Amino acid sequence: MSEVRERNESAWLMTADGSRMEPGLRDNMRRFDDDDEVDLVIVGCGAGGSTLLQRMARAGARVVALDAGPFWEPETDWVSDEAGSHHLYWTEPRKIGGSDPVPLGSNNSGRGVGGSMVHYAGYAPRFHPSDFRTRTNDGVGADWPIDYGNLKSYYELIEEELPVSGEDWPWGDPHGYPQRPHPVGGNGELFQRGALACGITAKVGPVAISNGRFGNRPHCIYRGFCLQGCKVNAKASPLITHVPDALAHGAEVRPDSMVTRIEIDQRTGRATGVHYARGGVSRFQRASMVAVAGYSIETPRLLLNSTSDRFPNGLCNDFDQVGRYLMVQGAPQTAGRFDDEVRMWKAPPPEVSSEQFYETDPGKPYKRGFSIQTVSPLPITWAEHVSAQGYWGADLRNYMSDYVHWACLGSLCEFLALPDNRVTLADEKDRHGMPIARFDYSQCDNDRALMKAATGVMEDILKGAGADEVITINRYAHLVGGARMAATEQKGVVDADCRSFAVPNLLIVDGSVLPTQGSANPALTIMAVAARAAARLTQQRT
Amino acid sequence: MSTLPLDPRHGGGRFPDFDVTTQARHWDETTRAVVEKRLGMQTPVRFFTESEQAAATALFDQLLYQRSEPRVPVTEMVDARLAENLTDGWHYETMPPDEAAWRASLTNLDDDSREAHGCLFAECDWDDQSAILTAIQNRGSDQWHGMVAAQVWSLWTRYACTAFYSHPQAWNEIGFDGPAYPRGYKNIGVNRLESFEVHDARPGDDPVEGKGQ
Ligand SMILES: Cc1cc2nc3c(=O)[nH]c(=O)nc-3n(C[C@H](O)[C@H](O)[C@H](O)COP(=O)(O)OP(=O)(O)OC[C@H]3O[C@@H](n4cnc5c(N)ncnc54)[C@H](O)[C@@H]3O)c2cc1C
Ligand code: SF4
Repeated sequence: MSEVRERNESAWLMTADGSRMEPGLRDNMRRFDDDDEVDLVIVGCGAGGSTLLQRMARAGARVVALDAGPFWEPETDWVSDEAGSHHLYWTEPRKIGGSDPVPLGSNNSGRGVGGSMVHYAGYAPRFHPSDFRTRTNDGVGADWPIDYGNLKSYYELIEEELPVSGEDWPWGDPHGYPQRPHPVGGNGELFQRGALACGITAKVGPVAISNGRFGNRPHCIYRGFCLQGCKVNAKASPLITHVPDALAHGAEVRPDSMVTRIEIDQRTGRATGVHYARGGVSRFQRASMVAVAGYSIETPRLLLNSTSDRFPNGLCNDFDQVGRYLMVQGAPQTAGRFDDEVRMWKAPPPEVSSEQFYETDPGKPYKRGFSIQTVSPLPITWAEHVSAQGYWGADLRNYMSDYVHWACLGSLCEFLALPDNRVTLADEKDRHGMPIARFDYSQCDNDRALMKAATGVMEDILKGAGADEVITINRYAHLVGGARMAATEQKGVVDADCRSFAVPNLLIVDGSVLPTQGSANPALTIMAVAARAAARLTQQRT
Repeated sequence: MSTLPLDPRHGGGRFPDFDVTTQARHWDETTRAVVEKRLGMQTPVRFFTESEQAAATALFDQLLYQRSEPRVPVTEMVDARLAENLTDGWHYETMPPDEAAWRASLTNLDDDSREAHGCLFAECDWDDQSAILTAIQNRGSDQWHGMVAAQVWSLWTRYACTAFYSHPQAWNEIGFDGPAYPRGYKNIGVNRLESFEVHDARPGDDPVEGKGQ
């Protein structure tokens, strides 16, 4: 691991007990003035933004990241409790529509330094090589302007920095992981048992949860609250994997700063900085380069709200691409009932997964595929699963009293990128006076066919493990797209290096640039894309 | 700590003497403060009007089958979320934001009840209340007073379940261990229990129809 430490010292910049970042790092952090023209201002300090911040700080740039949410202290700001973790979510007003509206908030949107990875589950799979060529190979989705080979080395770097643990991975581009697989709990055990019975390959991992001590970060204590923020600091989030190293290299992280508009010099067409609200005061940070990393809803919203004479329809929106091709993954969740006690909440929800159904199967009537993973809902989310079956009153209490007997799997189905699944601005305004985002979603037939197929496989696995009843809830997971990368400005918002086509000194480095999503959880790919963008910017690698 | 009243036929008494609050000394301070607040006195109702409060309480009693004391104070907990703007933020385009959707749907509930039984929802007897709710649930994706019935149902059950299943007494009923930091778990895997956990006394009590009981 010494090589990681030379590149990214974050894990060694935690206090000796691993409970927090060295307090001096934050107390003595460099602080730029609004009037300083920094080399780079980053909007959003999540998966993409923090990776770029750390890389650019290492390269010697004067860089500041503004985040709308707080600068968390895990020990005092987070709890080992479901309902008490509400403050981790992006809960500003948003409107959802379309024929299959996608609920936001807790399910897919984080806030604060570390971004959505603070309360993500922790799965860290790579995309498959086929994901970059779905248009050519399958006639659906889009081709990326880069291919898997361009990202591979960045995947390897980030996997070491998080770090990722798991068995040798047989799917996509076969690869190993820096850390050995974790032991599994009841839910993972039953997935393995059922998969074996059905002839399906399942593997432990890949999870960005440290198996053993990593730097000063402690190992996982298998307490199951990964989606509530890991107080232990065993699960990776940029707050502990990239921000400490960035601060040590002179970066500033400015929390509680909501960016409302990007300013453009109407004569040169270049970005000059960002308007932001902090403590109710409107401010302006000057910068010679701007990177947006607010994720798939907020990034398009910010661009659309940044209108000017040059960009009357929103920044970088000359070809009506901003906000479009936003994707969620269909995430049906199927649970099975066992006479044994599973106690699925004991152990991290991300344990075991299968990518056996990831690729297009020519024998099937649909394109692309799905993955299957353990998910282990805590009581409130489990109650949602049970009430989705229509149970309430005495039936609900009865089913809930049976909680210890249930195992639960989730699937990620590759929903296709469609132009009308998009973010626009609603009439309603938020407390900053900024129009709120409206997010429309409608599934296509391929999407629905995948959900059905995935549910069938999960039912088979659970029954194969001995379940006598299975119940399913249709959910959605993750967001990507909304400002996608493409070969030309007619087809997307940024190029292969995350530079916007329309504004030479504006980058987008978050989940919104992904043109397709595969059936992999996106965070690792978002970080890899950001790391590559940074390398291209500093010309260190190709 | 007392458990909630629930007949064994509905899943009561499956984890005899299991009480998560006896483990509170093993919880971290921040978490303990958050959880223990749910056990103490709640802030008096301030978001709901008096008539909304009455309808909401009757609704939550039905949805969560709370028929006698002690109860989880669901009305107060939901009221606090709405008063403090601790909603999830998003709302369906076919529905107003949560605060307004709550007020409207509770008023509509009273309207249905007045029409069918000539009294407020809270004044109806238990079975009539159940029938009114069943009728709304059965509307599915059809409209109910200008909103999609299923979306209203989802709003109600989401808030009700979030409050109820955040309460240690409800955890005792379902065998859930509650907060687990900094101690964590030592025995993970099928049928493996920590020393403080209690086995389900009636593992055959499968809620699946025709089994158990
Ligand atoms: C419950 C849940 C489970 C998940 N599980 C997984 C998983 O297991 N594996 C996986 O790979 N992914 C998972 N994800 C998804 C993953 O976390 C996200 O895809 C990823 O974090 C997105 O990265 P990003 O950089 O695009 O945005 P984010 O990480 O969300 O960061 C965006 C940041 O920008 C800030 N921001 C937004 N707008 C503004 C503005 N105008 N001004 C200032 N700041 C702003 C926000 O506060 C936020 O901190 C999960 C997500 C959730 C919510
Ligand atoms: S299970 Fe492990 S990774 Fe998840 S929150 Fe607990 S300690 Fe962190």
